[in-house]
This record gives sequence, C-alpha cells and structure tokens, in this order.
Amino acid sequence: MKGAVLKMFIGIALVGCLILGTSSSFGAEVVTLTVIGDAGHNLKPFEWYAPIFKEEFGVELKVIGVPFGELYEKEKIEFVAQTGAFDICIVYPKYMGDFAGAGYLMNLDEYVGKLGTRMDDVAAGYRDFYCKVGGSLYAVPYDGDVLSLYYRKDLFENADEKAAFKSQFGYDLKAPATWDEYVDVAKFFARKAGDKLAGETRKTPFYGTAFYGQRDQIYAWWGNRFASMGGVYFDEETMKPAVNSKAGVDALENMKAVVPYCPPDVLAYGYEELKDIYLNGDAAMVIQWPCVGKKGGDPNQSKIVGKVGLAPVPGVMKAGKVYSRAMMPCGRVLAIPADTKHPWKAYQVVQWLSVVSSCADVSTALTGLDPYRLSHFETPEAFEMFPTAEDARIYLAGIKANMSNGYPEPPIPGSMEYIDALAVNIIRALEGEKSAQKALDDAAKEWEGITARFGLEKQRKLYQGLVAGWRAAGLWE
Amino acid sequence: MGDRRLRTRRLFQRNDYFVILAFVVMALLLIVFLSPIFWMVTTAFKDKGEYFTYPPMYLPKKLDFSHFFRGLKLGGAKGIQDTLIVAASTTALSMAIGSLAAYSLARFRIGGKHFAFWILSIRMMPPIASVLPLFLFYRFLKILDTYEALIITYTIFNLPFAVWMLKGFFEELPAELEEAALVDGCGRLGAFYKIALPLIAPGLVATALFCFMFSWNEFFFALILSRSNITPITVVIAGMIGGHEILWAEISAVAAMASIPIIVLAIFLQRYLVRGLTLGAVKG
Amino acid sequence: MRYGEKQKAALSFNIEKHIPLLFVLPCFIVLLSVSVFPFLYSLWLSFNKWELGIGQRSPTFAWLSNYARLFSDSRFLGSMENMAEVLVFGVGAQLLIGLGVALLLNRPFRGRSWVTTLFLLPMMICPVVVGCNWKMIYHYTYGPLNHILRLIGIGEGLNWLGSSDLALPSIIIADTWEWMPFMMIVLLAGLQSIPEELYEAAKVDGASRRQVFWYITLPSLKTIIIIAVLIRMMDTFKLFDLVALLTQGGPASASETISFYNYLTGFKFFNMGYAASLAYIQLAVIIIIASLFLRFLRKEEGE
Repeated sequence: MKGAVLKMFIGIALVGCLILGTSSSFGAEVVTLTVIGDAGHNLKPFEWYAPIFKEEFGVELKVIGVPFGELYEKEKIEFVAQTGAFDICIVYPKYMGDFAGAGYLMNLDEYVGKLGTRMDDVAAGYRDFYCKVGGSLYAVPYDGDVLSLYYRKDLFENADEKAAFKSQFGYDLKAPATWDEYVDVAKFFARKAGDKLAGETRKTPFYGTAFYGQRDQIYAWWGNRFASMGGVYFDEETMKPAVNSKAGVDALENMKAVVPYCPPDVLAYGYEELKDIYLNGDAAMVIQWPCVGKKGGDPNQSKIVGKVGLAPVPGVMKAGKVYSRAMMPCGRVLAIPADTKHPWKAYQVVQWLSVVSSCADVSTALTGLDPYRLSHFETPEAFEMFPTAEDARIYLAGIKANMSNGYPEPPIPGSMEYIDALAVNIIRALEGEKSAQKALDDAAKEWEGITARFGLEKQRKLYQGLVAGWRAAGLWE
Repeated sequence: MGDRRLRTRRLFQRNDYFVILAFVVMALLLIVFLSPIFWMVTTAFKDKGEYFTYPPMYLPKKLDFSHFFRGLKLGGAKGIQDTLIVAASTTALSMAIGSLAAYSLARFRIGGKHFAFWILSIRMMPPIASVLPLFLFYRFLKILDTYEALIITYTIFNLPFAVWMLKGFFEELPAELEEAALVDGCGRLGAFYKIALPLIAPGLVATALFCFMFSWNEFFFALILSRSNITPITVVIAGMIGGHEILWAEISAVAAMASIPIIVLAIFLQRYLVRGLTLGAVKG
Repeated sequence: MRYGEKQKAALSFNIEKHIPLLFVLPCFIVLLSVSVFPFLYSLWLSFNKWELGIGQRSPTFAWLSNYARLFSDSRFLGSMENMAEVLVFGVGAQLLIGLGVALLLNRPFRGRSWVTTLFLLPMMICPVVVGCNWKMIYHYTYGPLNHILRLIGIGEGLNWLGSSDLALPSIIIADTWEWMPFMMIVLLAGLQSIPEELYEAAKVDGASRRQVFWYITLPSLKTIIIIAVLIRMMDTFKLFDLVALLTQGGPASASETISFYNYLTGFKFFNMGYAASLAYIQLAVIIIIASLFLRFLRKEEGE
C-alpha cells in the first residue's frame, strides 16, 4: 500500500516536471544577445524596442558601447581571438571586405529566404556596395551616409552677389554643378574681415568652402571628384593601382585650387569643425553628411536656419549632362558574427531594425541615423526636425539624388592601409610639399607594396568579385 | 623647529624684493596653467551651438548642471566607481610590494644593476605590443572584463615605477639611522617600517599619487580588456566622442567629476608631502 | 613574546639573513609571471608575418624581413624624428618649468598647499579630455587662444593644428602643460628631503643664494632629476592620446609619433608582425637611452 502510494506520487511528480519542462521550452525562452556598436545615440533603438524584442523574439539585449574611433579594433581583436562574445555587431562598411572576407560574419542569404530584408527598397548604392560581399548578403543597412553639397541659399539668391558673380565669371550664380564652377564659387565667396557680404560688412573672414582635412576621411572629399572624373581604384585585370590616373591628378588639382578659399587650419578639420564653420554662417558651401541638413533647422545648433540649401555633389560635364558621383563614407550596417549561438534570433532583431523600425529611427532627432531606403525618402512628414514637411521633402530629394550616384569607399580587405597611404599623400600635395602627380604616383607605389604584401592574386580575385557584383547591379561601368 | 622659523623670518626681511618677484612669477604661471582648466569647466555648462562660436564663450550663459547629470547617467557614475576600485587596488598593491623591493635594492643591491634594470624595462614595453598577448592570456585565465584583469595589468606598469622612484628616495636617505635602530635590537623589518618609510614620506606620497593617477587615466588597456561589466571612466569619456556628435559639455563635466577623487587625495596627502624633515633624530 | 630568548634569537637570525631576498621576492614573482608571456609572444611575432588585415589565419615565419622593412620605411623614420623632438623639447620644458615651480613652492607660505594642488590639476584630468579641450583651444577660427592673440594684436592668429610647422609644437605644448606637475611634485619631494643642516652650514659660511642653489640644491637633487627625466622619457614614448585627438598624426605625418604609428600598424592595419617589430625597436631605443642615463647617474655617485 505504502509502496503503491509512493510510486503514484513519484509518477505525478515526474509527469509534473515533464509538463513544466516542456512548457518552459515551448514558451518564451529568453535568450540574452550581446550587441556591440559605437557608443552614443545610435544605440538608442536597441533600447527603445527592448520590450518588443523580448515579447516577440524572446530576446534580451546587452548593449556594449565602444568609442567610435575604436570600434573596428575592438571587434577585430575579439574576432581574431574567437571569443564569441557578440551576437550582433554594428560594422562600418569599409570593413566589410575585411570581416566578411576573413569569415568572421555569417552569410545571411539563407535567412533572407525565410524573412526578407526588403533590399529592393534600399538605395542601390548602399545595398550593393556595402551589404553584399562576393554576391552574398552579409549585413543589413542601419545608417545611410552620403555626401551632399550644402550651400547658403540666401547668399546665392542675393541680387548684389548674383550681379557681382555674373560680371566676374560670366555665368549665373547657382549651386555649382561642375567642379570648375565649384572653384569659381568658392573663390567668389571668400571674403576678408571688413569686406561686404550680401550687403553686410563682415567682422571676421568668410570662407568659400571647407572640407574634411583629417587623415581618416579626407580621401572621400578627393573621391567625389575622382569618381565623377571616371576614376577607379584599381585596374581590374592587373590589380595595378589607378589612383594616379588623369582622373586622380585632376581631382587633386581641383582640391588644391580650393584650399586658398578655405579656413587656414582646414587640414585639421574633422566632423565638428566642418559642421560648425557652415552652421555658424562662416562658409558659403560645404560638402558634408546628411546630419548637417537635419541640424540646420535647429536654432540651437545653427545660425542659418532657413538658409540651408542642398544640392547634388558637383560632377563633370559628359555629353551635355552633368555626371556626378557622391562618396558614401562611414555609414553603419548590422552584421551577425559567424560563431554566434543564436543566429536566427539575432537575424530577427537586425531584420526588425533594418526593415520595420528603420523609418522611425532615421527620422527622429534622437539618433544620428540617416535615411537609406526609398520608403524613407517618400515619408518627409516623419522627419520631425524640419520646420515643415516641404523642407523635409526637399532635403530628402537631395539626399536621394546623391545616394543614387553613390560611389563606394574601397571595401577590399586592408582598406585602412590603402586609405591611409592615399590620404597622407593627398595631404602632402595640398600642403604644397609635392606636386599632385608625384603625390599620387607615390600613393600608387605604396598601394602596390601593400597589395604585394597581401598577395596580389588574392586581392585581385576579391576585387574582381566585388566589381562583378557592382556591374551586375548596374552601378559600375 | 624654532631655528627654522627664525631662519624663515630673516629671509623674508632681507629679501622682500626677491620674494615679491617670486610671487608675481608664481601668479603668472598659475594663470597660464589654470586657464585651460577654466575653459574646460565653463565648457561643461555650455549647450549645443555654444562650443564653437566667435567670439569664444568664456563664461557660460547660465549655470546649467544638466550636463553633469547626463554625463553621470551615460555611464559616468559607474565609470568613476569602477576606476576608483581599480586604481585604489593597484596603488595599494604596487606601493606595498614596491616599497619592500625598493628598500632591498637600495640598501642591499640585490641582483646588482641588472635586476633593477630588468624591473625598469618592464615599464618600457610599448602597450601596443603587449595588448594582444595580454588579451589572450587573460582570456585563457577567464578574467577578461573583470577588475582583476585591469588591476594586474596596471600593477605591471606601476610596480617598476614605484620601485625606481622609492629606490631613488631610499638611496638619498643616510643609512646611519637604520644602523642605529638595528644596533638597538630592532629587526630589519622594523628598521624599514619604523625608520626608513616615515623618513621618505614625501617620496611615498608622490609615488602613491602617481600610481593612482596613472591607473586612473589609462585608456588603451582599459578599452581592450573591458567589455561591459567593467566600464573604466576613460573609456566612458572616449565613448562620448561620437562619429557625428561629440558631447563636449558632458565630456568636460564627467572629467571634472572624475578629477575630484584625485584632487581630494592630493589635498589629503599634501600634509605629508611638504612636511619636511623636522625630526630631531637627524640632528642628534 | 611567547618564544624563549634563545629561540627568538635563532628565528630572527634566520629570517634576517634572507630579508634582502624576501623583500624583493613578491615584486619578482608578480612581474615575472605576467610579463613573460607578452614579452616572448611579441618577440616571436616580430619575426613573423601576420597580416590580420586581410584575414591571414596564422603567422608565417619571416626571418628578419620586418626589421629590414623598418629601415626603409620613411614613415617610421619620420615618426622617430618627431619622437626625438618631443623628448628633447617636451621633457626639457617640463623639467625647467617644473623645477622653477618646485623652487617657488619650496619655502612655506600661507596657502601653499592650495597653490600646490592647483598646479597639480592639469595632470589629474583624463588625457582624453585634455586632448578634446586643447582641440577646442587650438581652433583657428573659434578657439580662445587665437582670440586672445588677436586681442593682444599678434596678427590673425596661428594655424596651430593645420600646418606642418606648428602641429608637433602644439602637441608638445599641450603635453608640457599636462605633465609639468609631475616634475614639479617629484622635484618638490626631493627638495623637501634635503637636510636642513646643509642649508644652515651654507648660511654660516656666508654662501650667496646662487651658490646655495648650484652647490647644495642641485647636487642633492641629481638622482631624483635623472630618475624623473628617465621616467618621463619612457612615458613620452607612449604619447598617444594627444596625437590621436589633436591631429591624428597630421597634417600628413608631420606630427606622427612612434606610438601613434605603431598603433596604426597594429590596430588599424593589423600588420601584427610588423607592429611587434616596431615595438621592439622602440624598446631597444628606450633601453639604450635609459642605460646612458643610468651610467651617468652611477658616475655621479662615484660607484
């Protein structure tokens, strides 16, 4: 009797455990995913949607913020040591060749079949240059950066200035469409302290333009010109560097021509300096990221509210039409490390951020994320930092135009080294230490050395694979 | 003690002109060295759009403390706490071990000059080269992203510093006092602890302060060896330097708050630093 | 004490004999155990080629090719030149100004501890923030430094960070500002440790202030000065934050120091083998400098 009751209790207990056990594995099994990205407001979306991620995907996020300038090396060291510490990474696209090529990232093609990423909605340049490596999808876009030309609408519409420009240069004053016009306009608007500008006397100098002069991203400002003049980084067949082609030299000469009309310390200019010289009303034009347009309407940050004009990056005349390419430096994409333990859940999270919430995330002033989807460009009313939806629409149209002419940063492995060698030589030419041709020849020689060290064959195959993908997407001649 | 006061008074009477000049120079130097700090503190109260203006904003429009709170919320509070733990531990460890070793090196020349030089050479190692091996080493020990990893790392760099600084101070100290104590029956340890250490108090204070500060302000190892459990303040501040947004005010505010523990420590230790040798034992 | 007289004597005798070694043992163990692996690993790595930048899986042995590459690398040679400039002018300025301030603070006066603390402030601020702060100060158009220069009437302001001529001096100035307190405190501690009788004897002998300074103060400080300068030099080799925040080694490579270049090769380009060899060459240079200093010190001490 006692034995029977005991057996019954044990039986009930076992069944109870079984039920509890299965229910807990069928129910919300909450998994913690570690996210790594650059610290600051761009990680906010991960916080905002945490309840949704928990509810729907059973995911809790642990977010690690790393200083912006050190994100690459932090991720790289962890990948190299195979610590498996992260499940979702924010990656700067110029490192996609490095990370994907080395096998650190997961190929997303398989999951895309199950849960789409609406890549057809992503601006072509961004999608094919930055998210795909060797034809496969390795990342989904998160933040779209592209350079645009910002100019002082009010000055360009001022009657006195227009008359003076016409008499000096012989054509009408407007946002420069070609690089030669760009130099003319910069020269025209460069004023000293005490000169008149639009009827007012300046107390401090006024500059025609400015550019990003620091070593890490100056190549993009040269790249705008280089790309529009038909330049390519390497010769496809031989992998010989082509930065010292005529396009490259012309591009560098054009940049040199503009330096006298820029602030004297322009070679030390980073993001903040470039933004401030324009938003403080001390420069007529700058080529800059999308966020400048967003901040231009904020009276706390801009002294030229309502005077910000946006135009496509200048180009060159080709068969009667202007051909322009806009570099897309920086940017952010979401990738999943290959050794994560929860790939599907991680994919669900990044898919959500890139598809479902992306419009809200890029149109709010609480993040620094910028639009990259065609659907973003078509919802100007969502962009809250503009005084009217019309302002937003004009802004978005400009960004979209530039993004459709997007030109990639060199995304091949070793990009950092190539970029650095190029930048150092560009700056030497701008300072007057070397001639443009010599500087680019030196850069090309250094590039050859770098390629040789990496293995010419390997680099050539990778580059050809990339170019083939770009050509198939209609983005490369 | 009495002698000294008399001497000071006579100096002042005889050399008024020189003293006034000295004070003027000191005041000028103080202004030059403190103006960047003044700029930093006022920046902590500025808002967006006020950092880069012409003319520059020397005084904030209002004493808005919101940046201080925001900085604390953005990781500043935990950052200060974590760094405090790490810096205090490594300083205590380095001073304890280092003072013993320094005494031995100064008095007994243990290992000759080669051993002493080997200790110094450890500090010479460029951090770049040691980061990856240390990363792998700590990963193997499973102490990545813990206090221990940083404490050990900083101790490796602080110990040679402490040893060499204190060795220098011990060497300048005449050995007679300790010999006297030994004759009296005090052991070596006692001579070290009761006689030698107190006599180099200024050196101890200076060295401890520096060990603390080096650990407090170190960035590179802190960045690589921590992820999210430990957030040293230097990494938190660097995190405020974004790609398209630099939080100038929060950076200055958090830096100002982060300096307070060290400033308090320095004020507290000042007494020992400039006490000077007034022990009668020296003369007698 | 519970021990008997004889036992106590025996025990203390045994320990006493080994005290020198025992005192040094903890230091030896700690340093050896943690530093051996990094030292040997980087040394081994410097003889290998490991291009992590393109995902080379494991290092391949490369004899001395890294070291050979060093000597034809103009960026490396340039960065060593820059380093020498920073060492001579930076550490030199820190020493002179630090000594001056320490001497001023040596005589007691009311409020001395407050003034000392105020002079200490630059060193207590996080170096990252020192960099950001000076970046604002050095701004050509909006920075307070040029503004003050213009107010005084010295031209239009100087191109601190954007010209090859002034980029490195700007860094040296900021570095001197930051580390002068180190020299000041160390020298002050040294000055305070000079026995009173030396000064009194000099006064009795009727020595002038200059004679007191040259023949009493300086010689007593010699050891401390040499060690302080040595340690500052070693630390200056690691100068990184200011370069990264102020100029990024620019324009071009005008203000690139060896540690910044090493950082680039190791953590941006991920040429691990080359970076390791750069580190070891640096180490060799520092060791040579340190040995020279220490030899000078020993000669002074008459060893």
